Amino acid sequence: MTLLLALAFVFAALAGTGVVLTRNPRRQVLALAINGLALALLFMVLQAPDVAYSELAVGTAAVPLMFFAALASLRMDHGGK
Amino acid sequence: MSPRLRLFIFLAAALALVPSIVHIATHMPEFGAHPLPYGEAINHSAVRQRHVTNMVTAVNFDYRGFDTLGEEFMLLTAVTGTVVLLRGGRGEDRGARPGIVPGREIMPRSEAVVLLGRLLGPLVLLFGIYVVIHAQLTPGGGFQGGVIIASGTLMFYLSEGYRGWRDLVRSVALAAAEGGGCLIFALAGLGPMLGGAQFLQNVLPLGRTRALISGGLILIENAGVAFAVAGGFTLLFLEFLEETRAIKAPGKDPGK
Repeated sequence: MTLLLALAFVFAALAGTGVVLTRNPRRQVLALAINGLALALLFMVLQAPDVAYSELAVGTAAVPLMFFAALASLRMDHGGK
Repeated sequence: MSPRLRLFIFLAAALALVPSIVHIATHMPEFGAHPLPYGEAINHSAVRQRHVTNMVTAVNFDYRGFDTLGEEFMLLTAVTGTVVLLRGGRGEDRGARPGIVPGREIMPRSEAVVLLGRLLGPLVLLFGIYVVIHAQLTPGGGFQGGVIIASGTLMFYLSEGYRGWRDLVRSVALAAAEGGGCLIFALAGLGPMLGGAQFLQNVLPLGRTRALISGGLILIENAGVAFAVAGGFTLLFLEFLEETRAIKAPGKDPGK
């Protein structure tokens, strides 16, 4: 258990706690993105680069985008007929 | 169920489970130990048997290719379900103008964002194609490269706006890529059976280790997965982003 590994674990734990403690939905999506980044770094340090690629692309780019689009369309006035 | 009753049930369950958890936590193997033999067996024999250097790709597409076939069809079903739900609920009446959120004005795109998107978009797409092509050599593969390609098209959404992005990604082409990718994978499985081999057996010439063309059937399956994932994820983004558009005013808005 090297220093880098311990730091990665601590960062992942802090990111997860940050997601739970954020109450505003739009900010929570950004907390989710940071959580995805923390997990990707953790997987990379644990020598699993394939999983790190997937987690980075999905958890930092794809899922937050879908959340933002869903949150925006909830409050939106689409300009009806 | 009152909060007090919930708390009581939780404490009762914790009382029953905590001894087991403590016992398991103190008797686990040390950090980094891998007592199961499958990893060692793959590391030992995959290079010789399949001429690939990325063991994860070898397991995904060759030793356990059947599971990946199930995964691909699961992705296809999930994306199709999302498209049916979203597009069915919304109809085809959306234009390219963003909807209005009460209380927030629509800001014009900043020039820095446009520049960065135009610089990074092609780079990310190229990187995604690199990850796909080098599936059997370096970490990565069809799925990872496909998601990176889908994220790369999002750079074009940031820089060109919704109308420019929809000019780039045609939903018909995305659906064809997604379904075609799964079809390629299924045909790659059925193809060996024509010559008498088993389903998904690696019958193509394996090539030289560390060459770009190596691994045999792994390359075809990998290409199928890349098409399916890139098409599927971009279609997902398209459906979600179309939810945020305003309804097309009849006759006035030129649409997409």
